[in-house]
Amino acid sequence: MSEGMIVCVAVVGHQNNPLYIQSFTKGDDSLKLHHIVHCSLDVVDERANNPKKSGLITNETFLGLLNPTENYKVYGYLTNTKVKFILVSTDLEVRDVDARVFFGRFHTAYIDAVSNPFHIPGKKITSRKFAERVSTMVKSFGLSSGG
Amino acid sequence: MEEYPEELRTPPVALTCLVGCPEVHPLITAHLHSQQPPINAIALPDFSNISVIPPKKPPTDTPSAGIIKRDWLSKHRTRIPAVLAAIFTSRDLSADPAHWLQLCSHLDNLKASIRGRNIKLVLLILTNWDNKDDTNEERILALRKRAEVDLKNLIIFVPDHEEELQKSLNRVWTVFGELAATYYRDEGRRVRSRLEKKNYTSIELYIRYCFKVAIYAEFRRDWLEALKFYEDAYHGLREMVGTSTRMPPIQRLVEIKAVAEQLHFKMSTLLLHGGKVLEAIMWFRQHTANYRKLVGSPEVIFLHWEWLSRQYMVFAQLLETSSPNDALYVPSTASVPEEKPTEWEFYPAYYYQLAATYMKEKNTCLEFALSMSVDVGPIDGSAESVVASAYLGQYSRLLEHEDTFIMQPLTDEEYTRYALAEGKRFQDSFEIIALLKKSFEAYSSSKAERAAAYCGLQMAREYFCLNDFSNAKQMFDSVANLYRREGWLLSLWEVLGYLQECSKGMSSAKDFIEYSLEMASLPETTSSVESFANSWGPAGPATHSEREKIHKEAFEVSRGELKLNSDEQNSAFKVNTDNPLYLEIDLISPLRATFIALVAFHQPTVKPGAPSLITISLRSQLPINVEIDQLEVQFNQSACNFIISNGQKPQTGSISNIQPGHRVETAPDLVLAANKWLRLTYEIKSDLSGKLECIYVIARIGPNFTICCRAESPASMNDSPLWKFENLLETIPIKDPGLASSGQKAIQVEEPDPQVDLILGSSGPALVGESFILPVIVSSKGHAVHSGELKINLVDTRGGGLLSPREEEPFSSDNLHVELVDMSCDTPGDKSEAPPDNIHKIQPSFGLISVPSLDVGESWSCKLKIKWNRPKPIMLYVSLGYSPQSDEPSLQKVHVHKNLQIEGKTAVAINHWYMLPFRQDPLLLSKLKSVSETDQAPCLALNEKTMLIISVKNCSEVPLKLLSMSIETEEKSSACTIQPQQEEFREAIVNMPGEEFKKVFTIFPKVNSSKLKIGTVSLRWERGEQPHSNTTASQVMKHRLPDVSVELPLLVVSSECPPHAFLGSPFLYSVKILNQTEMLQEIKCSISDSQSFVLSGPHSDTMLVLPRSAQVLAYMLVPLGLGSLQLPRVSVTSVRYSAGLQPSTASSLVFVYPAKPHIGDT
Repeated sequence: MSEGMIVCVAVVGHQNNPLYIQSFTKGDDSLKLHHIVHCSLDVVDERANNPKKSGLITNETFLGLLNPTENYKVYGYLTNTKVKFILVSTDLEVRDVDARVFFGRFHTAYIDAVSNPFHIPGKKITSRKFAERVSTMVKSFGLSSGG
Repeated sequence: MEEYPEELRTPPVALTCLVGCPEVHPLITAHLHSQQPPINAIALPDFSNISVIPPKKPPTDTPSAGIIKRDWLSKHRTRIPAVLAAIFTSRDLSADPAHWLQLCSHLDNLKASIRGRNIKLVLLILTNWDNKDDTNEERILALRKRAEVDLKNLIIFVPDHEEELQKSLNRVWTVFGELAATYYRDEGRRVRSRLEKKNYTSIELYIRYCFKVAIYAEFRRDWLEALKFYEDAYHGLREMVGTSTRMPPIQRLVEIKAVAEQLHFKMSTLLLHGGKVLEAIMWFRQHTANYRKLVGSPEVIFLHWEWLSRQYMVFAQLLETSSPNDALYVPSTASVPEEKPTEWEFYPAYYYQLAATYMKEKNTCLEFALSMSVDVGPIDGSAESVVASAYLGQYSRLLEHEDTFIMQPLTDEEYTRYALAEGKRFQDSFEIIALLKKSFEAYSSSKAERAAAYCGLQMAREYFCLNDFSNAKQMFDSVANLYRREGWLLSLWEVLGYLQECSKGMSSAKDFIEYSLEMASLPETTSSVESFANSWGPAGPATHSEREKIHKEAFEVSRGELKLNSDEQNSAFKVNTDNPLYLEIDLISPLRATFIALVAFHQPTVKPGAPSLITISLRSQLPINVEIDQLEVQFNQSACNFIISNGQKPQTGSISNIQPGHRVETAPDLVLAANKWLRLTYEIKSDLSGKLECIYVIARIGPNFTICCRAESPASMNDSPLWKFENLLETIPIKDPGLASSGQKAIQVEEPDPQVDLILGSSGPALVGESFILPVIVSSKGHAVHSGELKINLVDTRGGGLLSPREEEPFSSDNLHVELVDMSCDTPGDKSEAPPDNIHKIQPSFGLISVPSLDVGESWSCKLKIKWNRPKPIMLYVSLGYSPQSDEPSLQKVHVHKNLQIEGKTAVAINHWYMLPFRQDPLLLSKLKSVSETDQAPCLALNEKTMLIISVKNCSEVPLKLLSMSIETEEKSSACTIQPQQEEFREAIVNMPGEEFKKVFTIFPKVNSSKLKIGTVSLRWERGEQPHSNTTASQVMKHRLPDVSVELPLLVVSSECPPHAFLGSPFLYSVKILNQTEMLQEIKCSISDSQSFVLSGPHSDTMLVLPRSAQVLAYMLVPLGLGSLQLPRVSVTSVRYSAGLQPSTASSLVFVYPAKPHIGDT
């Protein structure tokens, strides 16, 4: 828990390909986090395709808790352009509201990054500024929630 | 779930016992079993068997040594009945006193053995149907008193009468059911009262009592109470954690977990069978959360993981068996949104996967614990004597001591050794694989392919650990496909690393190189800081240096310099001349990133024999430059294949597969740098017409390594999903950007230019009816014509068919608008004996004719005869296919196409009309009646002469010659006479375009008929100028005259006057009225005054005309004017028919001369 509560954030493109994936652990579990993010895409697909069954409101971008793995909580967010954001947290007490707020800010950062004229839509996000901004957001997420 | 005892897995069923009269036992037990709810029964044939029911032990005050007795439930399920039925026959009752006494003693024994257990007693008396009423009432009463049984619990059982038997059986079931319910309720109440009075000495007893109450409630099918008490027991157990000191700590926790497992299993089963899936899931969540942290002492931590894994597995099995997946979705509105289970928590797959994960954890910890405890070996012997003890979750040592067995408690150390020895006996990997497989299948069937792939990956890793490489490779391959498709580089890197190792293990050099090259050419992953080698699988971290290492290793293997698994002397793994390496890269191969060959022709088409440029672009994403020794480019026309050899390595003659006659080019160097296109442009020539396509580009690196790459067109190239999303400099494969985006790997080689003329002799429009002759001339200019074929097609220019739409069903020649009638060719004299296989096919719109062989300069012609049945423009397509050489007729055909539009026109238009003789008007009744004349056949007067005028108009653009005209009457009878019947023109009348020719006939109808067929006008004509002397004869054009009606005119008015008059000289103008009827006709007549004439005669009068006679009105006129003058108008009106006659102005004109000409005088 001392490593911060968000351990991984990811931006996933239309073909379920990772556009940006960053883990925030000091350990060596980035591969494991890749797998967690990848598996959670199944739930995103399921929710996006059956919004009624999942109780989602139309046009709601926040998908809520995707995957209750034993040690992580995975949240999802689907933009209007069908780009997916995934958040993996080690804090099992994290609240939906916090995740929702985080995604809102993350979305803004994402929009800024892809609005860069040198960014080619659909390609991986390599902007260093974006990475810094996300890193700050991840840190402040831990602080604001009193973790 | 199978590891649980049967009595735990199935819901409790009330137990009863039957004693005596074994012949009816099967009948009763089967009936009890088949009812709902069912009742189990122990069947004891004899009263002496009663001792199987264990007697009640006196209560002891010693503190309990455990929580739940292991066999308590089984005892109540199988050995302690709730109801005991003693069965006697009616014969027994009425027997002699000695027998009766024995019976009573049996009953007393029975009562003694169930005393204290509160078991209910029932009496069954068997009797026959015949002597049903003969039962000894006294004895029955005595028996009942002795047994202390109520009247309702004494059942007369009649086995030999169908209806009575059914009644008796139902009664047995009802009574048993009621009594069993009472028994279990009383037992439950008894235990519950202890709980309520807090009459228990320890928490263990509290849990035990709760458990018992719950089980009794389950026997009564009171699920709610059962659930409540299980929950109480479960909570009680939670309190024991950390407070109990009864046993050594390790075993204490093991016991608690074992009991918790059982309680939770019961609760989950009840909830799931009650359809409360959501609650079950929430309970399970809480259960695992409660105990997950209670790992226990570190040396037996594996027991904890095993336990946890079992919780997941059992819950998954319960979930799977309770109901199908779809029904699991319960409306989740009631639950708290924060804690709402996610989709996957409803799938058994999720729990199987976690069970496998914890099993893996257990395996790891067990191996660690085994490696730590060095001296596990020697205790194996002593571990054998450890058995499960009387209490659930406890183990003790069984000591044999002077023919008796003593249970000795274990110390924690002993227990640990026992657990380790037990753990060693099982192969966890197979269990892990089985669990993962279940999860994999469940995820796959619910379309969660990524989660399934993750299970597959874990499964493959497990196979890999077991050195089962072929299974591992199969799983890894399928997982790798998903990662490739979705571009998950890091995961793919890991899987490929495993695959590399698998192919090493399977000694497959080809696979090893393929996986290595794919790994080496993966895109750079951004996070290169991770250097924890152990989490990456065998491949190590995905860094650039690692990629370079793999690249070098792969090429060393390909050169045969490195033999990988040196420990195994497997020759298949060494690449040498006997085992060359051949890789094939096609459009879907993952190695496209490693090596891609784009081929583009610079033009889309080329003439045969003319040179065309071709660019071959090669690219590799390998981290280190690759030098190719030789490139071979293969086409579908093998004559075009060529080889490009490396100019830097001229001495590599070892590649000796260059066939003589093959073209060899030399390139300055053939080095592929990472992500840079190597472009090679060469000229290529093909003599064969058709498609020339590049198929393979084959690269040879070293003597034994060949990469065969399928050529791709730049226009259709798409990057692999792995590289597509990378931010790297995009280079175009060919310098010309147009070619780079639209270049094709195939070129169309045209056929050689034809040197034969095809001439269609056009002669203007065709005329309908004639056989239009069209000459076709084939004349050779520079090519000889061999095996030539002429194809003729007639196509409607407006697109529609040549058939008229309304008559399309029967295919016959008369409904064709235009048809090809004949093709005639003039065969030269010397070739008159043409081979009989000459093709000559003809169809209405298609013709095929073979052309004889022609030498250069010769020509040949044929004539097409086309007939137009209706006016229609058509397009005539003629195509000639021939081969210039006689030796290879099938190849290299040259085609000449010509087309011609031909208009088909109507030659003449025939018209007709009728006229009455001059100044004569019959009164026809039918003309009076009808208002409009259009819809009626023309009406002719009987016995009066009528003129028929036929006009012929030339609609074509050529002068026509009219040869004859006739009217052919259809009816032979002399209904009417026509003059002249036929007229051959002495000299053909030339009818110029647009001109009209008229001919007058007279008709004299002789029969009164409403529908008289007149006949058909036939006109024979021919073209004024014959384009070809030997062509058509004259054509006949027919025009059918419409039917007419003929009737007798009632009155005929004819006027008479001289054709001319002289000024001042009087002349006679008379109007004759002929009455053809049998009646007197009243006629009014009047004459109008005219300024040009002075007249005398009746001005206005009414007169009567006698039947069949005529009356004449005569006027004397003196002209006063000159020139063509209008006679005074006479109007005649028939009063009877209200019909008046107004003579037409044309018929009442007279020319007045100034004086009589004196012709003879001058």
